[in-house]
Amino acid sequence: MIAQEHVLDQLPAYALGSLDEAETRQVVQHLDSCPICRAELLTYQMVTDQLGFGAPQIEPPPSLKQKVMQIAGPARVAVQPEIRKPGLVEVFRSLLTPWRLAGAVLVIALIASNLILWQQVQGLRTVSNPTAFQSVALAGTSADPQAHGVMIISSSGQYGTLVVENLSPLDTNHQYQLWLMQDGKRTNGGVFSVSDDGYTSMLVYSPKALNSYSGFGITIEPFGGSSQPTGEKVLGGQ
Amino acid sequence: MDLSTLDDASLIRLIAHQRSEALGVLYDRYGRLVYSVALNVIGNAETTEEIVQDVFTRVWEKASTYDADQAKLSTWLISITRNRAIDELRRNRVRPEQFNVAWEEAIEIKDPRDPGPEAATETLFKQKSVREAIAALPADPRQALALAYFKGLSQSEIAEVLGEPLGTVKTRIRLAMQKLRQVLSTQMIDQS
Repeated sequence: MIAQEHVLDQLPAYALGSLDEAETRQVVQHLDSCPICRAELLTYQMVTDQLGFGAPQIEPPPSLKQKVMQIAGPARVAVQPEIRKPGLVEVFRSLLTPWRLAGAVLVIALIASNLILWQQVQGLRTVSNPTAFQSVALAGTSADPQAHGVMIISSSGQYGTLVVENLSPLDTNHQYQLWLMQDGKRTNGGVFSVSDDGYTSMLVYSPKALNSYSGFGITIEPFGGSSQPTGEKVLGGQ
Repeated sequence: MDLSTLDDASLIRLIAHQRSEALGVLYDRYGRLVYSVALNVIGNAETTEEIVQDVFTRVWEKASTYDADQAKLSTWLISITRNRAIDELRRNRVRPEQFNVAWEEAIEIKDPRDPGPEAATETLFKQKSVREAIAALPADPRQALALAYFKGLSQSEIAEVLGEPLGTVKTRIRLAMQKLRQVLSTQMIDQS
């Protein structure tokens, strides 16, 4: 490929979408076979993508938010769904700069020292403070034997956090649903989905103290959840 | 939980789970930006409102397909807003002589709504950076760039609107984009 064939001069206008049709066809044809121009184009697309930040700012009418919110309708679920755990690649990527790396090392050192201190204090606390967090282990059923999880309940029983791992990701028509069990009754504890690696964590709220329930179960339900369990149980614990 | 403290990626995940309050927080964070881009393209408040609703409908329905590795949420929103608005402009065949385009003249950002963790840093930084870079361009390239960006005009159409030779317009747009690339790339490197 000789330099004269490149379309470098046309790339700025192409990125803006302001070439004529014939010019656009010529550029598209060239880009198909030229990695140099494709790389150059990316830099101009980056510029185009940001130009909107230069638009004169005008406050929208207050009524517009209400119209936008009509898109969504009422909230579908009443509990806090997953906040995805960052993957290892993302974590390492965020640590790539030297200053962040140095900061991370410092944080790890502090965490390690705090853990040692915490372990030392913990022995005293079990004697002097009987109101500690409670946890209930959740084991996978035959439907998903690799899955496991834990329900951590605050000392008051008012708040809980569900953490699960290795649950099979579901299709878009289904979600997992947590059930709070007591005297044969099942109370909805919230619906959730899991990340590709089967992980999620979810805050759990309940009208009654969570530590008053005799057990917890998780079933597969239609998206949005059910009023009573209808699907297969995949996790459970007492 | 106060969702306004969540970053964009977490908000989008909640929206993908059909959490309407997350959509409200996203609107508080970017509604003005989306509205401003659309209004500067369309020039008509009523149609602009329809476009803003279309953009957030798309976010609501397509949140699960958003890929943070491909584009920041703010630039993704700007891109779909601009494309949607220019489509509308072309469909209505607005006469070019009716076009009134301008860039933001104020460099400093006043009264940011719901700053949020990203808006407080990245988005505000970008707004200031882009405004400074555009303000540093000579007036003629700035005008040609505005007609291309906000009105979706081709270089030939811009030459016709401005009464300038096509070659002049091509040079102005090329030099403007090259200058912006140079300035914005440097700022992004400095920021990182």
